[in-house]
Amino acid sequence: MFKLAVKAIEIADKRKADFADIRIIEARRQNLSVKNGEIAGLNDTVTLGFGVRVLLRGSWGFASSNNLNRHSIELCTLKAIEIARAGAMITGKPARMAAEPPWQDFWQTPFIKDPFAVPIEKKLDLLFKTDAILRKNPRIKSATGNISFIREHQWHLTTEGSRIEQMLLSSGAGASATAISGGEVQIRSYPSTHGGQALSGGYELIETLDLAGNAERTREEALALLTAPQCPSGRKDLIIGQNQLALQIHESVGHATELDRVLGYEESYAGSSFATTEKLGKFRYASPIVNLVADATLPGGLATAGYDDDAVQAQRWHIVRNGILSGYMTNREFAHAIGAARSRGSCRADGFSNIPITRICNLSLMPGNTPYEEIIASTKDGIIMENNKSWSIDQKRLNFQFGCESGWLVKNGKKTILVKNPTYQGITPEFWNSCDAIADENHWRLYGVVNCGKGQPSQTAMMCHGSSPARFKKVKIGVKNH
Amino acid sequence: MTRPEKICERIFALAKGVQTETLIERASGALTRFADNEISQNVHNGSSTVSIRFVDNGRTSRVTLNQFDQAALERAVKTGLETLKRQKKDKNLPPLAGPRPLERGSNIFSRETAELSPLYRAQKIKNLVRICKKAGQTAYGTLENGLTSYTVANTRGVFASHLESYVIYDITVKAGSGFGWAQTQAADVEKIDFEAVNRTARLKAAMSKNPRDIKPGLYPVILEPAAAADLLSYLCAYSFGGRFYNEGSSFTSGNLGKKLLSAGLSIEDNALYGPAAGMPFDFEGQPRRRVVLVEKGVLKAVVHDRKTAAAAGTASTGHALPQPDNFTPFPLNLSVRPGGNSVEEMIKNSEKAILVTQFHYTNLLKPLNMEITGMTRNGTFLIENGKISKPLKNMRFTQSMTKAFNETEAVGRDAVLCQVWGKINCPAFKLKAFNFSSATEF
Repeated sequence: MFKLAVKAIEIADKRKADFADIRIIEARRQNLSVKNGEIAGLNDTVTLGFGVRVLLRGSWGFASSNNLNRHSIELCTLKAIEIARAGAMITGKPARMAAEPPWQDFWQTPFIKDPFAVPIEKKLDLLFKTDAILRKNPRIKSATGNISFIREHQWHLTTEGSRIEQMLLSSGAGASATAISGGEVQIRSYPSTHGGQALSGGYELIETLDLAGNAERTREEALALLTAPQCPSGRKDLIIGQNQLALQIHESVGHATELDRVLGYEESYAGSSFATTEKLGKFRYASPIVNLVADATLPGGLATAGYDDDAVQAQRWHIVRNGILSGYMTNREFAHAIGAARSRGSCRADGFSNIPITRICNLSLMPGNTPYEEIIASTKDGIIMENNKSWSIDQKRLNFQFGCESGWLVKNGKKTILVKNPTYQGITPEFWNSCDAIADENHWRLYGVVNCGKGQPSQTAMMCHGSSPARFKKVKIGVKNH
Repeated sequence: MTRPEKICERIFALAKGVQTETLIERASGALTRFADNEISQNVHNGSSTVSIRFVDNGRTSRVTLNQFDQAALERAVKTGLETLKRQKKDKNLPPLAGPRPLERGSNIFSRETAELSPLYRAQKIKNLVRICKKAGQTAYGTLENGLTSYTVANTRGVFASHLESYVIYDITVKAGSGFGWAQTQAADVEKIDFEAVNRTARLKAAMSKNPRDIKPGLYPVILEPAAAADLLSYLCAYSFGGRFYNEGSSFTSGNLGKKLLSAGLSIEDNALYGPAAGMPFDFEGQPRRRVVLVEKGVLKAVVHDRKTAAAAGTASTGHALPQPDNFTPFPLNLSVRPGGNSVEEMIKNSEKAILVTQFHYTNLLKPLNMEITGMTRNGTFLIENGKISKPLKNMRFTQSMTKAFNETEAVGRDAVLCQVWGKINCPAFKLKAFNFSSATEF
């Protein structure tokens, strides 16, 4: 592949590009889904293509194609150059790339079992078995189970001499039951919502999830929610489970610290951020017990790789240290805006056909030192929420509202009753500053986000967020209906 | 790329008698993105994929690829056929659909629009940037254009092809603490009034400077077309799809024929003709029917694919997604019937109301009453005594759509084409009561 790729580099060099790169990607995806006893998806997708990015006189051009041959690479490179020239008509601040050593390397996701080598019938059997357990009650009107795998083989060549080959592999699975009765619709998912759990690695992940073994509990929880009382409204101490905390971290810290957003480059679409650059190193984002760490080297992380799509080596760094805003997700183009000599390596593209953009890395809340049981025992009037059901946040990442699948009221240190339709809302820094307890490492879990949308044209990316359950004081629970 | 007919022939020959369906998608798109008064991203993507579905005696599989040489097709077909053997028989799985007469639909392709050059896009953006800079404003947005084509064919004789072009100009203008947004889209660039969009967004930005706080609460609301389209598109996607209807998770379940929405609200799905026209067949190559979803507030029908139609004891309306699918057939070409008021008249007739330009990050909370939450964005104003009195800081709403659209006070006379869950041509709405549940800081 590198032999083909070098054509793009030759042309870009000849046209005196400031920088250019080509990424050739061969990807295979397998998606299996069973719904209500029938196959709802059984798709094996193989794609191959390349994208060429050219920075010429401070202006970007990008073109991609699924037609992989020398002639097509030549045409696409020339197209990218033509686009960059047109863009130069209105370039105020010429784009430039932060320095990065040229890397020649091969990196691959560690895994035990190749998921594509596991027979289809074994995967389908697991889904049908899970589905049958989920539907063992007539009030379960809909049950869904899914398994998916993605393998991406990438060849990345830059005008600076980087020559990086990577093989990334991820696996995921989940199941959910929807109970409907008496004017109520309630869903319960395992191990988390929005398609379940996904991590980097092989089929071993699917085996550890034990979908079938957890189906009965999932079904019973969905049914219990049908008759559970409505979640009360008012201020309460909120204990958030790991799978919901993953989305809380994602929306209110991850996106808020993407440097392209912070600088306004997403203003017209995804929005900007309150976490502006003059706050770096000073702003109290959270209470002092909160440490949020971005880590592209994290085992199991969906954003874990040897290098990002800017050819920057994977790193680990603090976004929030002891409660203070301490870093951003950066790419090479914008790193200089915070005075950084080097990018943190958080620039990724969705496949071959999209331009790399700043992305949330794996971002995790570091464990605290309180046993989880102690957090509950020390809560007088609280609620535990698990599994995200809905999410919404404003375009500066301040006002958020999340809904969860289930809530458990806590009274005088005891988990008491199940409540339905729990929601909570807050303003990001106020909320994170109310964090007064984080459970210890025994409860630390990593959850994958597989459908993070951003960019125009729209791209999706994957990343993980790890945490132990944490408590937030006097959070606004429920929605005020006027 | 080889002609779609030839690709289908080659695939069908390789399938050796197994029922086979091909969905060929070709896309060529360019997008110039700008921020902070300069071009920040500039891309072109050309791609083609073929997705092949096999159905054989109660078994099904799908393979998708983007390489069209014989060896790649042979590998894909082999994988798909092999997968068929590795599953149990499903007695409910229907065979592939046979051919049915297709209407031609609307011509929504303009080669000129599909092929606008990067220089053309840069020039249009330059015009906006120049006036913004002069006025001390900052421009953000995108200008994109391209084409998409779909061909659906199967071994039972279905062959349907559709080609359309698009151009979308979407801008946000910042003026101090004020933001304004406007967008226009069409299949033909000749129909795009760039200057009008520039004027609207710039004026909104200027008007929304120094936004004030207002106490969250229940207010009459005037939703400009994009804001109304966001909510109604959600309502239609989750409430007027056959699967959700059959499952009982939609507010339409058991309620067809009942008047549950305001008499001012009429919605149809029409892929064939009209402003939201699109592909005149579904992803099984079946004709898309015009379906009246709501007529003067009465719930009339939901859309179906062959499978959900059979379960409901009715006929498919031609709304299948690629099969098998995990979601629901849903309407993709919505037209909301305009009323008789301009937005200016709605403002003039309001003693107190909130005017919303656009919503951000809307999401469903409860399907049965379609309770949705989201934020206002890029121009929210208080109306007092028939006039816009001041700009407001953005607010979160949490509101049942079935309730809100059962209390429609006025419907706008000018519908605008928007893209949310598919196309929706939608006018402005004035609703009697809308629950703003909390506020934000800007």
